[in-house]
Amino acid sequence: MNLGDFYQLSAILTGYDEARLQGSGVGETYYEVLTTLIPSHILTQLQDTFCTIEALPKKALDSELRKQILANAMLGPVARNILKMWYTSIWYPMPTAWSKIYAVPNQSEQKYQDVEFIISDDAYIQGLAWEAVHSHPMGAKQPGYATWSFTPHDIASATAKRNPAK
Amino acid sequence: MKQCEHFDVVIVGGGISGGIMAQQLGAEGKRVLVLEAGADTGKTFSGYQKYMSTFFTNLIKIPNSPFPQNLNAPQPLVTDVSKIAEGKPSTNGYFVQRGPLPFSSTYTRALGGTTLHWLGTCLRMLPEDFKIKTHFGHGLDWPINYDDLKPYYEKAEFGIGVAGDADEQNYHNIDNPAVHIPFKSDSSQDYDYPMEKIPQSYLDNEMHKGLEGMTVNLSGKDYPVDVVSTPQGRNGMPRGNFRPRGAVGNPDLGQRCEGNSNCVPICPVQAKYNALKTLDDAIATGNVEIRSQSVAFNLEVDPSTNQISKVHYKKYQSPDSPDYHCETVSGTVVVLASHAVENAKLMLASNVGNSSGLVGCNLMDHPTMLTWGLMPENIGAFRGPGSTSGIPSLRGGEFRKDHAAFRIEIGNWGWNWPTGAPIATVPDLIDEKNLYGEQLKAHIAATYPRMFRFGFLVEQLPSVNNRVTIDPAYKDRLGNYRPVIDYDVNDYTRAGMAAAKRVSDQIFQRLGVEQYTQYDESQPGYVTYQGEGYSYNGAGHLVGTHIMGSSKENSVVNANQQSWDHPNLYLVGCGNMPTISTSNPTLTMAALTYWAADNVKKALQN
Repeated sequence: MNLGDFYQLSAILTGYDEARLQGSGVGETYYEVLTTLIPSHILTQLQDTFCTIEALPKKALDSELRKQILANAMLGPVARNILKMWYTSIWYPMPTAWSKIYAVPNQSEQKYQDVEFIISDDAYIQGLAWEAVHSHPMGAKQPGYATWSFTPHDIASATAKRNPAK
Repeated sequence: MKQCEHFDVVIVGGGISGGIMAQQLGAEGKRVLVLEAGADTGKTFSGYQKYMSTFFTNLIKIPNSPFPQNLNAPQPLVTDVSKIAEGKPSTNGYFVQRGPLPFSSTYTRALGGTTLHWLGTCLRMLPEDFKIKTHFGHGLDWPINYDDLKPYYEKAEFGIGVAGDADEQNYHNIDNPAVHIPFKSDSSQDYDYPMEKIPQSYLDNEMHKGLEGMTVNLSGKDYPVDVVSTPQGRNGMPRGNFRPRGAVGNPDLGQRCEGNSNCVPICPVQAKYNALKTLDDAIATGNVEIRSQSVAFNLEVDPSTNQISKVHYKKYQSPDSPDYHCETVSGTVVVLASHAVENAKLMLASNVGNSSGLVGCNLMDHPTMLTWGLMPENIGAFRGPGSTSGIPSLRGGEFRKDHAAFRIEIGNWGWNWPTGAPIATVPDLIDEKNLYGEQLKAHIAATYPRMFRFGFLVEQLPSVNNRVTIDPAYKDRLGNYRPVIDYDVNDYTRAGMAAAKRVSDQIFQRLGVEQYTQYDESQPGYVTYQGEGYSYNGAGHLVGTHIMGSSKENSVVNANQQSWDHPNLYLVGCGNMPTISTSNPTLTMAALTYWAADNVKKALQN
């Protein structure tokens, strides 16, 4: 799997567009973790499958992505791990049952092992879960004094729509 | 043989009480030595940033996650806490827990102490809290009262740098006279905190509106349920000439809270007070020396005077190596400021100060019961300091004859405490709820900002059976004792938990909160009361292992916080508190320490 396809697949999996993902600055590290730990023939198959469906219209894409990737016993756990990296900044070890059937993730003395770990300081800070909550990572990207007393932004924007004069 | 180095004052422990003591006495020109068992990583800003990095990449986000375990001065961890089988102590962590229930609170052994990870809540005690035995027939009376401590509360609020409005914190608008706290007096008509109150969260304000006029019935009497801002040791807008103190080694940073939402376990900018600041002030007096990685293990008594003549400590070069050598110092006055549990341990190990037999006894905490649910609307969860308001109106009242009082903390961080959300709960959305992409994003946006939790800090009474002891069978890597803990939660507190849950249920009904609270037997802090189950967590409020009292038979220290047995030995810290009541203890402990410092000053003059 090449980096470009990794970003395209990630955008569909996360619901954030490629520009947003690239802007996080940690995508290449996630790609490195993935390609270090998951044997390349599996990633190639994931890429090939994705390339056959990525141009489909939204609804069909969702249905095929679920069928051919998420519900696929070999590809599903890999795709979900990519998604979890983006949202939580954590690599979760591949399920034992998966490793028994498809491949043992690389466990040699290298930079990354197939154990649960937070990928880096930056990854923690860039975790998409925080953005999805409409907040900021605890301990970073501080919004400033007194911001916690502001009206949450979706309520604020709904009110603005109802009362355009204000 | 090497001459034993002598100081005016030797302080064991470099946390908030040791820092206050050192700063106060150093400023008087006294020569002071502080012995800190842990490492001093946080004393430089670059060292402090290492704590941040450790926090970011630590999978387990608990109060001690930024502060690495040091086997030469080990610290208890929340993750050590487990159920205890009868007759089989739990030895998972630093504590040896004999039960029957687990003691769930922890502390930090590093320079700066547990203020490195505290939330910063700075509540005063109620006047009635000092005399609960007299008023309610439970617990113990203090040998001092609120008025005695009041001027020291003011000193402590300026020393820590507390943000709050006196007009709210006197609780005079609450229709329950039992909780009223007098702030003004003849000597301080115009007293107010050094900084304006920290702005209350959007959630606090919504809750305030939603609960307006609500009452609950406790022991046959109606009490108001009022939302009030909480005073906090956190930099806000200064009043008058007060200047907030920024980060140690980077003073321009942290002049105001920036909303990092990470007070516990670590404020990245030190806008939240920590004792590194006071210790830095102590060093600036030019009279204070801090020796870290120095674990006091024995106090020697001169039999002719009963004075503590020597303090023996083990100095280790690195937390990574068990190598150490022994050193000895002496002090005209010796102050133990090493934490309630560590103070008791050191006294028991040295066999000093224990003619009452009460050293280590009366260990207390706030068994903290959480309730959580989904608000009907977005309340902007996961923003701001951990808590900016609470419901203090049930902190006192006649119901304390029947059950424990409690303070309700309103949490700003959604379900972070009960479930680890969002990071710990998102994998379940992916693996079990089978969400991805836009759906996943929308699901999180629609639910997580509505997450809400209360914390009920329930009062616990002193009991000689809840205690810290030592046992030669249990020692750490340097050969020092590990604390052995016996702990239980009695029916008075359990009845308080039950009452708290009833209050929570009523509030949830009123606000339309979808209940997600779950207590089950697998939780280490699971207890039952009248057939219903409840779970408690530790609050980190370790109180009462060397209590003060009116006589040498009923206490370990006198009202001056001086050992009844050794005239040059002073004890400071939450261990001196005979009862815990419903306030987070740090402010009261700091006030007591300013008082103790005055007493030591006087003792040194004579």
